Amino acid sequence: MSVRATVAICAGKLTANVLKLFGSGATSLPGKVVLKLCPDILGHLAKDMKIICVTGTNGKTTTCHIIRDMLEAGGNTVFCNDAGANLLGGVVSAFVKASSAGGRIDTDYALLECDEAALKSIVEHFGGLDVTAVVTNVFRDQLDRYGEVLTTVNKIRAGLSQLPEVKLLLNADCSLTSSLRDLEHKELHYFGINIPLYEEASSDISDAVYCIRCKTKYRYRYHTFGHLGGFYCEKCGYSREEPETALKRVIEWREASSVVELEVFGKKLETEVMLPGGYNLYNALAGAAIGSMTGLSGEQICSVLGGLTTHFGRMEQVRLGDAELSLVLVKNPAGFNEVLQFLIQKRPTGNIVFGLNDNYADGRDISWIYDVEFERLTEAASGAEHFYFTGKRAYDMQLRLKYADFDTARFSVEKDYKTLITQLKQSGQPTFLVLSYTCMLEFRDKLADFVPLKRYEADK
Amino acid sequence: MENGKCLRICHLYYDILNLYGDNGNIRTMEKRLNWRGIGSEVTRLSFGPLDPPAEYDIIFIGGGQDFEQELLVKDLHTYKADWLKREIEKGTVILAICGGYQMLGQYYEAADGTRVDFLGGIDIYTTASDKRMIGNFIYTYTGEDGESFQIVGFENHNGQTWLGDGVKPLGRIVKGYGNNGEDGTEGARYKNVFATYSHGPLLPKNARLADELLGIAYRRRYQEKLPPLEHEMEDAALSDITKQLLS
Repeated sequence: MSVRATVAICAGKLTANVLKLFGSGATSLPGKVVLKLCPDILGHLAKDMKIICVTGTNGKTTTCHIIRDMLEAGGNTVFCNDAGANLLGGVVSAFVKASSAGGRIDTDYALLECDEAALKSIVEHFGGLDVTAVVTNVFRDQLDRYGEVLTTVNKIRAGLSQLPEVKLLLNADCSLTSSLRDLEHKELHYFGINIPLYEEASSDISDAVYCIRCKTKYRYRYHTFGHLGGFYCEKCGYSREEPETALKRVIEWREASSVVELEVFGKKLETEVMLPGGYNLYNALAGAAIGSMTGLSGEQICSVLGGLTTHFGRMEQVRLGDAELSLVLVKNPAGFNEVLQFLIQKRPTGNIVFGLNDNYADGRDISWIYDVEFERLTEAASGAEHFYFTGKRAYDMQLRLKYADFDTARFSVEKDYKTLITQLKQSGQPTFLVLSYTCMLEFRDKLADFVPLKRYEADK
Repeated sequence: MENGKCLRICHLYYDILNLYGDNGNIRTMEKRLNWRGIGSEVTRLSFGPLDPPAEYDIIFIGGGQDFEQELLVKDLHTYKADWLKREIEKGTVILAICGGYQMLGQYYEAADGTRVDFLGGIDIYTTASDKRMIGNFIYTYTGEDGESFQIVGFENHNGQTWLGDGVKPLGRIVKGYGNNGEDGTEGARYKNVFATYSHGPLLPKNARLADELLGIAYRRRYQEKLPPLEHEMEDAALSDITKQLLS
């Protein structure tokens, strides 16, 4: 370890301590300080570790949670960056926190949630190391962030192309993600779903209509969600690869879980997956694949999937007086459509709150709410007591639901979180809250005045 | 529908030019017709020949990704150009947004001077710039009845569009960039073409503009005035964001 690196680490640790002293939860500042002093710090700190990077549009946080449980079930020690702190600064902060003042790290694995655009700067010092990269999916995200889905694919590609020795784990059902198969690699594996996931699947495949290689319209053997499914191109032959980790059958959908039949690297498993909604099955598959790749038995994998707890799947339960609140975060149309699919299965009878902000972290452009298929929820939500709209763009959200034929007599806009929380408490009804990122942070902040809450991002 | 009346809407290149919640515009037109007891029939057209060359009261063209642009231009010239030009001159109501707006014009000129020839249906052209014109924006529109009102949308483009003779701007910028960020104009208005950089769901909260388009199309088809319809919730969304932007 160079003197320079050691000094940098100490400075980072000092920064973190000072921040803690002031009660700040800032997670990326220590990393930024370290980077200023020693730009190639990750190369120093990571050199004896095994690294798993998780990137993609949706499911990064949940997938990381599952992988962490898998690694720990195998007796490994792991450290992670905090959810959301997934740019270079946040990753460096996590390494500094895990290291001794002398720059030693005694954990087996660094498990890193990586923003798609930041991936390149994060992995550039990992060449030659034992790196596994998981790509969950690519969907259109906040449109003003990267512009279009191909830009996102290219950013991930630019990152991974620096790792010729990488073990790649790709979503087989995503034609955009799966196109990364031509990157140089040591191992290449896929996870995927072999069946149509829902009887009446969302048919919006507009994120990837034309073959990424030859621009011919894809054909599909079946759809699971959005543009995910059994795609193939008739002209150039580019098509879905058979995944080694696959969902073969959903035996039963339950309240907040499902019972499924999996095949994981030749092991046939039947297990409950303790996550709500079909969208989380992809995350579970990625986790199961890593479990198997790191040496877990079929039984161990099932035991992890069946024992997932806390607010996995970004759904958090909070009791507020007689009202049971379920909070769920939405970031983009694909994620929102998944949440709607979950609500369609639930047929909610209490309140539903939709919260939309248009701060930078939410996406300044709210056009995407018209890519969310609220029309599919209209009938299933007809028994709901009341619809509340909150956040800076509450009125736009309300209008979106008017145009989806929801019953406007049951609409209220309430931008003041305190008033809203009071009303929800008084109603005593079960309530689903579907909130954009900064709206979630603001709402929870106010909710904490009513009930004790865990810290949002760093909950592990 | 009870009175048997119905407008035919064409969503041109629905599967290619559909990047930013463009469906919100189709949905708004359909709903605002249906809530008045008027039917709507939406035809979604993609690549390929027009078979048969159908009649539409309204044609909507949205915005798209660069990836598909060359495919699109080829199809436009091969199968759609004559028809679309005829519809423009005939006075069919056309709403074109972002990529769709640029595409109706003469050409797009890249930074290195190379040109992509577009439809040439309206006298406008677009030049590349390194200026990212992005954000919520407001412009003033003066309607057929001479009354002015404000339109709020979101723009996100780096092409600068310039209007030729005979093409009027759709509106005047109050806040934001508009056509090119320089001359204070936004969008283009020619015959019954309404073209704008306000991408995605332009019509839901700009209900007066939606009714203007529907009103013209309805009058052309049935020689009658479009019956009135309330737009309270639409106005609430419009005035709320206007207030935020101007504060």
